[in-house]
Amino acid sequence: MKTIEFKQLDETLYYKKLENGLDVYILPKKGFSKTFVTFTTKYGSIDRTFVPLGEKEAITVPDGIAHFLEHKMFEKEEGDVFQKFSELGAQANAFTSFTRTAYLFSATDHLYKNTETLLDFVQEPYFTEETVEKEKGIIGQEITMYDDLPDWRLYFGTIENMYHQHPVKIDIAGTIESIDKITADHLYTCYNTFYHPSNMLLFVVGAVDPNEMMAVIEANQGKKEFPEPTPIEHILEDEPQGVAIKEREMSMDVQKPKVYIGLKAKQVGLSGEEMLKHELAVAIALECLFGRASTLYTHLYEGGLIDESYAFDFSLEKGYGFALIGSDTNKPDELVSAIKGRLKEAQDGSIFKEEDVERIKRKRIGSFLRALNSLEFIANQFTRYKFNDMNLFDAVPTVEKLTVEDVREAFKSLQGEEQQTVFKIVPVSERKK
Amino acid sequence: MFLTTQLAKGVSLHIRQTTQFKTVNFSVKWRRPLTTKDAAERTVLSNVLQHSNEKFKTSAAFRSYLDDLFGTVLYFDTTKRGNEHTLLLNVETVNDQYLANSNVLQEVLDLIHTVIFSPNLENGAFVSSIVEREKEMVLERIHSIFDDKARYAQYRLMQILRPNHPASISANGTIETVKAVTPQSLKAAYDSMLQNDTVDIYVVGDIDIEEMTEKLRQVLAFGDRELHEKQPNIEIDTKPEEYTKEQQEMKQGKLHIGFSTPVYFGHPDFPKMQIFNGIFGGYAHSKLFMNVRERESLAYYASSSYSSQYGLVFVTSGIEPSNEKKAIDVINEQLKVMQNGEISDLELTQTKAMLTNQLKEALDSARGQIEIYDQYKDLNEAFTIDTWASRWQQVTKEDVQQMAKQVKQEAIYFLCGKED
Repeated sequence: MKTIEFKQLDETLYYKKLENGLDVYILPKKGFSKTFVTFTTKYGSIDRTFVPLGEKEAITVPDGIAHFLEHKMFEKEEGDVFQKFSELGAQANAFTSFTRTAYLFSATDHLYKNTETLLDFVQEPYFTEETVEKEKGIIGQEITMYDDLPDWRLYFGTIENMYHQHPVKIDIAGTIESIDKITADHLYTCYNTFYHPSNMLLFVVGAVDPNEMMAVIEANQGKKEFPEPTPIEHILEDEPQGVAIKEREMSMDVQKPKVYIGLKAKQVGLSGEEMLKHELAVAIALECLFGRASTLYTHLYEGGLIDESYAFDFSLEKGYGFALIGSDTNKPDELVSAIKGRLKEAQDGSIFKEEDVERIKRKRIGSFLRALNSLEFIANQFTRYKFNDMNLFDAVPTVEKLTVEDVREAFKSLQGEEQQTVFKIVPVSERKK
Repeated sequence: MFLTTQLAKGVSLHIRQTTQFKTVNFSVKWRRPLTTKDAAERTVLSNVLQHSNEKFKTSAAFRSYLDDLFGTVLYFDTTKRGNEHTLLLNVETVNDQYLANSNVLQEVLDLIHTVIFSPNLENGAFVSSIVEREKEMVLERIHSIFDDKARYAQYRLMQILRPNHPASISANGTIETVKAVTPQSLKAAYDSMLQNDTVDIYVVGDIDIEEMTEKLRQVLAFGDRELHEKQPNIEIDTKPEEYTKEQQEMKQGKLHIGFSTPVYFGHPDFPKMQIFNGIFGGYAHSKLFMNVRERESLAYYASSSYSSQYGLVFVTSGIEPSNEKKAIDVINEQLKVMQNGEISDLELTQTKAMLTNQLKEALDSARGQIEIYDQYKDLNEAFTIDTWASRWQQVTKEDVQQMAKQVKQEAIYFLCGKED
């Protein structure tokens, strides 16, 4: 077992790659009574076309399958896994994103037994046609729930506008029609391809003794047989650089229009330290332009163009990336032109000033240290970083080293009108007028 | 858990030294009886105080300063509990030991003084342009509930269940009372809050208790104030409409059912009622989850929640509108089986384990420590996890059955799409 110390942060991380290829990380936290454990596979909604384990030809599976599989992992021949966790007072859950599927629990007691339950239920698939059929009603209602959430529709509508081919534009849960095609065989194919230990990461953080915990995990994994790890072959169609659709709107039963401007990133091939530096620099650039201390924010606020829903964000993964800026607003067109105007001003990079960059760097460092109080943040973010060959705990030193030049350079990834799209949600009654 | 000191009559400081967190958390809570007028004034006030102050006259200047203090988080907000309204100030700052050469903590203490005692005024009142914009912000917040159909359905159910009652009064006030706020009325509300409200101050972090107490005596020099009596629960004399269906443009049906219970927070049966709720629909092992979702595939979510301040239990579920009757039947059946005493040992064990774990986990965040202590201190007994764990441990099947029998369905609210 390796030990990695982060002196400035007063944290020590324990690491081991097990014989079956599983990466195990343990971070003890003093003073906490709970432990949070995540078991994550590098498999999300975007992994829809691939060569199944042991085969030669690529297949495309129905949309929403990674999420469907996540649901079905909880059902076993002897019943629902939640029952087992509840009995030991553990809160279990799972989530599927574009790039990951994570299974997790938190508990203040019976840590080892709960950890074994987690490992076992994720490593023992049990799918039948009956249980798959039964789940379609449940997931169907989950999809319908999201269909009625205006902010979710706004988010996905903007992503759909940006991408021509990339599967990030497909809703993570799929559609009622696509999930209807899912069979138990599909689930086994996806499971066997993506749930090999060498494609997964276990993160333990909280009230834990690293040596004892590692022994429990190794003993559990040592008892199980896995095939030799093989690299997974993903097939992705080429994605043009510019956005697919410049502007679009949909109507919903809302009080006030909602609008997002999406900026599609050009720089999406990075990994490791370069990616870490790049994504932190872009986040700082956005804060300079759109943050609450910016002149633009003051203008938008005083002009009544935004309300408390105003937000901006940047997402980056291998193969796709985008910034979103928007708000609920009664003047969506004015808001769009103010934001586009700001982007135009930023064109030559002179808008990024050293004093702003330094101030925002301080803010980012403080936010990061604050986030380290959250076991959930540490486990989820560490895993995401690791899957992109980055280290979460390098974030502070990387921010400290960033210069205004780095910020200018990084922001170029979002520049250009062909990278911009607008998506609006308008109240039903306004559309009819 | 917290060490409590009376700084003045009606002003308490609760302080906790711990190395668990990398930050220091502060919370100041001002409390008074809940009315719609006060709720509106104080919500606008919380926005205005957060916008700017005498030292930082623009929001941009204020935000820049917070960024410079390593992204110190500082916000005002309003909440309610039972018959009381709370205006609160929450501040979280990084502990100096993680930062090279800095004295952020002292600057943050000075800033707390500034935001409370040195507001941004003109002609003896708040700045009218800021007040007008912040009123708009609060009005938009109130309106936005309509866009979130689950929240809207719950809001409607509360209005039907307990009209003109603290249970249905929003901590944000109403559209009319927010519109009525003026820069002068806001100044009066501000003065009254500083002089008359009961104040609780919380600090959690790796601090020196004596030194921090001394500093806070200076920074938060509140005078004595009359203690307001805890308000009795208001008698409910109206009988709500038993069934209400409303329609909007939407796909999923939102089924919200309200039940009443005579057991409130602080009642001797309160721990029994918590176990009842856990088994009924509080967890993934509960009867609602196992039957409405897992057995019948009717919903993605089907759960119950116990609002102990108001003696209410809510069941909420998102369903296909055509399954409305079936869902109501399955939900009622779950209450019925509990009233008949069909409660397994496993369900009891699971629920006790989950409640205990939940409480322990909540105490793993500074905010959780503050909020739980703040609520349980009303019981006037020393709060410990073990006390509560043993109270839950003692609950029997018969107790839960007894609780189930006292739960009465009062109103069903169903929000769904318009038929074509």
